[in-house]
Amino acid sequence: MKKADKIAYDKDYAAAKKDGKPFFPYAIYKDTIIAGLAILAVIVLAITVRVNIGEPVNPATTDFVPRPEWYFYFAFELLKIFKNQNALTPVIMATFMVPNILIILLVIWPFIDRGPERRIWKRPFGLALAVIVTGMLCYLTYIGASTPEGVAKGDGIPVSGLEGASAAGAALFLANGCTSCHMVKGVGAAGPGPDLTNFGAKGWDNAKMIKWLQAPIAPMPSYASLPPKDLDDLATFVNGLGTKYK
Amino acid sequence: MATKDIGPKNELQKGLGAAADFVDERSGVKTGGRWLLFRNIPAGTSWFQTLGFTAMALFGMQAITGIILAMYYKPDPNTAFGSIAHITNEVTWGWMVRGMHKWGASAMIVIVFLHMGRVFIWGAYKYPRELTWVTGAILLMMTMMMGLTGYLLVWDQKAYWATVVAVNIFAAAPILGPYIGDILRAGPEFGPDTLSRFYSIHMLIIPGGIATFIGLHLYFIIRLGISEPPWAKRALRAQKDEEDARRAAARNRKAAIPGSVSFPPAWVGDGQEVSR
Ligand code: HEC
Ligand code: HEM
Repeated sequence: MKKADKIAYDKDYAAAKKDGKPFFPYAIYKDTIIAGLAILAVIVLAITVRVNIGEPVNPATTDFVPRPEWYFYFAFELLKIFKNQNALTPVIMATFMVPNILIILLVIWPFIDRGPERRIWKRPFGLALAVIVTGMLCYLTYIGASTPEGVAKGDGIPVSGLEGASAAGAALFLANGCTSCHMVKGVGAAGPGPDLTNFGAKGWDNAKMIKWLQAPIAPMPSYASLPPKDLDDLATFVNGLGTKYK
Repeated sequence: MATKDIGPKNELQKGLGAAADFVDERSGVKTGGRWLLFRNIPAGTSWFQTLGFTAMALFGMQAITGIILAMYYKPDPNTAFGSIAHITNEVTWGWMVRGMHKWGASAMIVIVFLHMGRVFIWGAYKYPRELTWVTGAILLMMTMMMGLTGYLLVWDQKAYWATVVAVNIFAAAPILGPYIGDILRAGPEFGPDTLSRFYSIHMLIIPGGIATFIGLHLYFIIRLGISEPPWAKRALRAQKDEEDARRAAARNRKAAIPGSVSFPPAWVGDGQEVSR
């Protein structure tokens, strides 16, 4: 804003204030009403939609849904968009580039849009940006909210041909929460990890899989703390998915 | 003194009055408080300008319900889940306090976003309120971090795995990412210390930060005054007056140049120029 604009604004604001009303009670009564209504709404929701509690961490069950709070759905959806693509649009885009660009834009916005104009219809660029970003966030949140959870209720993984090591691997697959990020034949969450139903087609050997499990690419957690036998069983199971175990 | 004397004061009244004067003389609270409450704000102030206060009220509610929850919650991987179940199923009104805390968190996010939307649409972040916006943006991020850290405390499967993913997302960032991941997890892996770390972040570090930044935010708001809606009646009138004055000046300037003719003459057009 130019100096003259600032002076003009200060003068205009002083005039507005001179014609104004005292904060108490004219503003405070509105504040109290809306804040009261908000708190009332929270109390009503707390009574009508009771909080529940899920399964305790880490028993060998499959009927849990790994979901963040709804206001992080967009981040998880971003992850799915940028995953499963070529190496040029890696997870870094979703986990780092996009969120940070948004955050930086948010913080420095007043230093970008410095013109004296305050009426929204005379700020088309700002309006367009706001509509696009808000629309995108709402859309991703909606997708996140409506993604089928796809978690079967405790029936295990519906593939045939499991025995010995691969059966143990399937149990470990459930027990270690792989299904919270990977889907196998409709069991497990649709993301953020890729669907592993036909993973066997990739033809990894167990050593490669064990190495991956010990040091995967984030956000997949490392399973280096599992005993070697468990890792081997898991590898047998995952490497045969879609080929040996369908 | 401003108060009316109705009969002689007893010793207690005298004492209280003297104490109030003593404090005011040294701190200025009475004078300052009066200034704060009765300072003028623009007359066109609208209902949309209540959202910031509402966010603040919800933060206060989160603090109170959170303190009550902390009286029963045990931040240890072996007992956390059980203590939440205890709060939900056994403690008197426990389900209610937990429900309010959980719904309050979502409500606060919604209200803060709406508040930000109103500030954006009104251009209320422009001179001189740029720093009010910056402190607000930091408040928004801290509010979201509250949601992230609080979610894990329930220590159920859903929360656990969602948080594993979220922390891994942070950890995947280049350069600082691995360090942030280690700090959040209290080590390279999710372990027993992760829960107590999240607990202290959730109930000490971020609330302290939010309280501090609400203080800064309010300091700016009170110092600069709340903005007037750009389409308040007074603002529109002032804009029109200014526009008219500018046009009149332009016409006068034209008229002042010898040999320039304007038709109709400057003094005719005035009444018709209602819309700019
Ligand atoms: C926190 C979510 C998460 C969990 C839990 C998880 N993964 Fe992953 N996994 C991912 C993501 C995300 C990727 C994709 C990483 C990439 O390539 O960038 C992945 C990739 C993989 C891949 C490689 C896929 C490919 O095509 O390269 C395999 C195999 C795999 N995971 C197996 C497992 C197994 C086995 C477990 C359980 C022991 C498991 N995952 C648990 C998120 C997860
Ligand atoms: C915890 C979150 C927040 C709280 C408690 C809060 C509180 C407040 C309050 C009480 C006001 C007074 C006017 C009103 O109610 O509208 C205000 C104004 C303001 N807020 Fe916030 N706020 C928060 C978040 C934000 C965010 C996220 C932004 C934007 C990024 C922001 C930017 C502003 C600005 C620029 C003003 C001045 C507006 C004006 O003068 O018209 N605030 N805030």
